[in-house]
Amino acid sequence: MDMAYVHVDGAVKFFSREDGAGMLVLDHVSFDTKENGVTCLLGPSGCGKSTLLNAISGLERLEQGRVEVVSDHGRATTLSPQLGYVFQDPRLLNWKRVEDNLIFALKGMEVPQAEWKERIHKYLGMVGLLEFRKQYPLYLSGGMRQRVGLARGLVIEPEVLLMDEPFSKLDQFTARKLREDTLAICARLRQTALLVTHDVEEAAYMGDRIVILSARPAHVAEILDNPLPPLERELDDFGFIEFKKRLLQSVLKLMEEEVRA
Amino acid sequence: MAQQQKTLSVQAEAAAGAGSLGALSGAGGDRAREAAMEIGLRVGSIATLILIWWALSLFFPPTLIPRPWDTFAEVAEIVSTGNFFAEMGATLRRVAVGFAIAMVLSVPLGILMGTLRSLESFFEPPVILGLTMPGLIWAVLMIMFFGLNETSAYAAVAVTIFPMLAISIWQGTKSIDKDLIDMSKAFHARPWSKVVDVILPQLVSHILAAVRYGLGLAWKVVVVVEMFGFSNGVGYQVVRGFNVFSMKTVLAWTITFLVVMIVIEFGIIGWLERVVTQWRPRVEAWRR
Repeated sequence: MDMAYVHVDGAVKFFSREDGAGMLVLDHVSFDTKENGVTCLLGPSGCGKSTLLNAISGLERLEQGRVEVVSDHGRATTLSPQLGYVFQDPRLLNWKRVEDNLIFALKGMEVPQAEWKERIHKYLGMVGLLEFRKQYPLYLSGGMRQRVGLARGLVIEPEVLLMDEPFSKLDQFTARKLREDTLAICARLRQTALLVTHDVEEAAYMGDRIVILSARPAHVAEILDNPLPPLERELDDFGFIEFKKRLLQSVLKLMEEEVRA
Repeated sequence: MAQQQKTLSVQAEAAAGAGSLGALSGAGGDRAREAAMEIGLRVGSIATLILIWWALSLFFPPTLIPRPWDTFAEVAEIVSTGNFFAEMGATLRRVAVGFAIAMVLSVPLGILMGTLRSLESFFEPPVILGLTMPGLIWAVLMIMFFGLNETSAYAAVAVTIFPMLAISIWQGTKSIDKDLIDMSKAFHARPWSKVVDVILPQLVSHILAAVRYGLGLAWKVVVVVEMFGFSNGVGYQVVRGFNVFSMKTVLAWTITFLVVMIVIEFGIIGWLERVVTQWRPRVEAWRR
């Protein structure tokens, strides 16, 4: 895997409201994601995390600032096709079989057809759904559908994988297993990934780097690197709990400041 | 729509819980019994209609209500003498061509109206007006304009069903899932792929419903056009029966027509529906 990270520099975003007044959503947000690792954007609901992710993916335009993917190929704006996306809902094409959902992404990203079969095999295998490749999504469970969504994000072999609260609609057991698998896959692929979450434990578990965002208008409150390597994070391990506590303290402090302001 | 999706996903969870593949392929006996039950109900409903007809025929002279079997004998006669196929073929061709024209025009227009506000505003009034226009008037207008030839039959069919098709597809397009459009943007889907892979599949139920209504409407119009002075087709044969005041002939032609319609409806369209919706678990809201 080539080296890659996302560089966000002074991102500003306004939303115009019904009454014409502008509402500031992103207030000069700057950070670099971890090179070939998982970076978590941690912040309260509605703080603009998803807006930031959409700006990075090019679905949303910034008023000021820039977003770049820095890789061996140089610096590029994110409008060029090198991003994979995993959504909160699976967002699958339910009328297409599992493998055809992956082909939909491969086709869009103009991956040569000769590589399709091998890639589908590799990434469906990774998420553990190889035997379900001919199945229609509505016959799969919610967790399995989300796995298909993950495979679809990975199959295009993106420089950066963007994930927008991908575990938040799953039950605790399913989410826990999928987090574990996603983390292992990202570590194995040395995948640069950006994960949006409002869950402190999830951020501590998934993130090699955690960017804490304030409530709206979002600015970067703190950036923390995880002292534990990805595969040594255990939910009941002392070191992990220490780090989670550290993260929680930052979040609580931030909330206090916001109440006072 | 949201409600329906919820039901679907709940079902799918259940299926997955029971070992999703097993729930799909197994239960063959159940399915066979279900299919037999379905066919039985359909046959029963038609038998009931014939029974009512027979009962009525006991109280009226055969010139007004002929006995069912006399009429069926006439049907057999029509079919065996061979002119049935030529006449029915002419009518079917008019319906098929008119229907195809309306479909080819209404699908793109409906999708554009559902996705572009300006086109919606522009085309809404004529489409709604067109919907209220009786097929009989279209038939008269088209015959006056094109003369008594095939073109006027094709045009009358196309123009009559076009607004109905366009409205279904337009409304269907408005209900498509915006999140999937965003997804297709995120994966850089080409415009053609957006239409074929993302938009059209979500319109399938709407298009199928439109096809059913549209066919029903098309038959009605084509018979009217043929009655106006065409020299072949089912409509012409019915008028001939009327001119000699033969209730039996009129009914016999009507029945052959209905049989062909049923074959098309259950055979072709039903098959098409099964093929294009096999990805969707059936909604069994009342099953316990």
